[in-house]
Amino acid sequence: MIGLTLFALFGVLMLAGVPIGVALGLGGALAIGLSNPETKLFGLMAAPQNFHAGIAKYPLLALPMFVLVGSIFDRSGVAQRLVNFCVAIFGRSMGTLPAIAILVAIVFGGISGSGPANAAAVGGVMIAAMARAGYPQAFSASVIGAGAATDILIPPSIAFIVYSISVPAASVPALFAAGMIPGLLAGLALMIAAVWLARRHKMGAAEAELPRPPFWRSLMEASWGLAAPVLILGGMRAGWFTPTEAAVVAVVYGLFVGMVVHRTIGFRDLYSIFREAAEISAVIMLVLGLAGIFAYAVSTLGLADPLVGAIKNAGLGSAATLALVIVVLVIVGMFLDGISIFMIFLPLLTPLMRTFGWDPVWFGVVITMMVAIGQITPPMAVNLLVACRLAGVRIEETFPWVIWLVGAFVLASIAVVIFPGLALWLPRDLGY
Amino acid sequence: MDDAGKPTSEERPRLPFAVEEALAVFALAVLVALTFANVVVRYFTDQSFAVTEEISIFLMVAMVLAGASAAAGRDVHIRIEYFVETGSATRRRALLLFAALASAGFFFAFTYFAALYVWDEYRYGETTMALGLPRWWYSIWMPMLSAAIGLRALGFAHRLFKRGAP
Repeated sequence: MIGLTLFALFGVLMLAGVPIGVALGLGGALAIGLSNPETKLFGLMAAPQNFHAGIAKYPLLALPMFVLVGSIFDRSGVAQRLVNFCVAIFGRSMGTLPAIAILVAIVFGGISGSGPANAAAVGGVMIAAMARAGYPQAFSASVIGAGAATDILIPPSIAFIVYSISVPAASVPALFAAGMIPGLLAGLALMIAAVWLARRHKMGAAEAELPRPPFWRSLMEASWGLAAPVLILGGMRAGWFTPTEAAVVAVVYGLFVGMVVHRTIGFRDLYSIFREAAEISAVIMLVLGLAGIFAYAVSTLGLADPLVGAIKNAGLGSAATLALVIVVLVIVGMFLDGISIFMIFLPLLTPLMRTFGWDPVWFGVVITMMVAIGQITPPMAVNLLVACRLAGVRIEETFPWVIWLVGAFVLASIAVVIFPGLALWLPRDLGY
Repeated sequence: MDDAGKPTSEERPRLPFAVEEALAVFALAVLVALTFANVVVRYFTDQSFAVTEEISIFLMVAMVLAGASAAAGRDVHIRIEYFVETGSATRRRALLLFAALASAGFFFAFTYFAALYVWDEYRYGETTMALGLPRWWYSIWMPMLSAAIGLRALGFAHRLFKRGAP
């Protein structure tokens, strides 16, 4: 009964547009209060305790740091130089520019940890370049939004940091390594779909006439940006840095490249960069803290048990349950952002994961792929929204294009579900 | 995370958001400096000043609450926008008002319990593990800043209300 109250109140508040964190906090607090009528203050002293415990974790410091890395590299001029370099390599034949947009999003994914930051950085450069080459704006926005969805799979990834906080059995380095191949696979699937679309609709006819930048000079200019993922990922791999330290080293490196090398960031920009990063982090982490109250209510009151029991008793096997979970997450992902999905569903999904013996690292990659699909599936698609705003198109206009890219991403995800080795081989090989 | 398309108030709040923003920016800047100094010091001396962990965690919590306060005033907290963005102007306004008042109510109640939490820490003279400082020095910010979030949400509701029905 109390469980029903919690979920019903929470659902209604959320649909009414109450901030997710507040809905989680109110639902959780009410459930705690209802189940402790005799306790002093209805046991609600647990609310500030669990809020504090939800965010006062040292490893979580990696989150604001990687958000800051994204804000810095967004303005560091690195994306433009990566694009030039890719054009110099791959040339100017029809349909190349969409593939380059996705490739640059993948490389940028090795620096930044969130999809919208990636869409902003790559879109800021590619939207105009693709317009000059004759691609329709709605198509460009779809390609950039979809390419940016690989960001939360390619390490570093804010989604994996949050997942690891909720599922300690999956360490951040193991998740980072596990996301690599699925991220590249999804990127490859997107490139094939984008080039196929461009050729089929004869888009980008003007591309061939545009100049091709000289190879060596563009390599030189792009080298600062290309070195960033090597520094971040190599530094963690070599055991020089923890994820948090890798992020802070990337912050300093990005500021150096932006302020000294490319000179795209001035002293005056620093304040707005830090303000943007602090506010994005605050909005995400407030949800983490308030979700601590919700998770406490769910776990101590055993609210997940009936639901988990019902699924177990329904006689669905491991595969059918997984399919059910995936379908639910894809639908929910169309309306909710990834961090909220993790915080709301992980208290319910972790018992299922234990019951069926799913590998926590692999499961993390699978549900992160569902979140990535949600980031590009209208009506609520954060990546697509950022790209659409840069391109000046409405999100509805992208539908005929983005649906094919969503399909390509789904195929890549199905491959990872069927062959867990795609995710688990690399972390095992690296010994995490 | 993105505020475009959302009806925001033309009216400015009497106390500019820059106050909380400056606090959040300061906390983040110190976090970067501390963490980077830790990397450098450990690299050159094989020693780490792990005691800074405690300060880092405090700064992170302060950054979250201060940033959340400005975000509450701008009404940019993460929400399901589907029903807020669609439908008549009257319904949108009603939903936005309801959301802001629910947020304010929640954070005022939260302030009360957080204040009791700090009071307990003060009363029992609890000290921190690494530095041995009184715990309430760190935790006093939690009720103060959550009251600020509540006030900012209330301020947003007030500005929305003052603008009148669409």
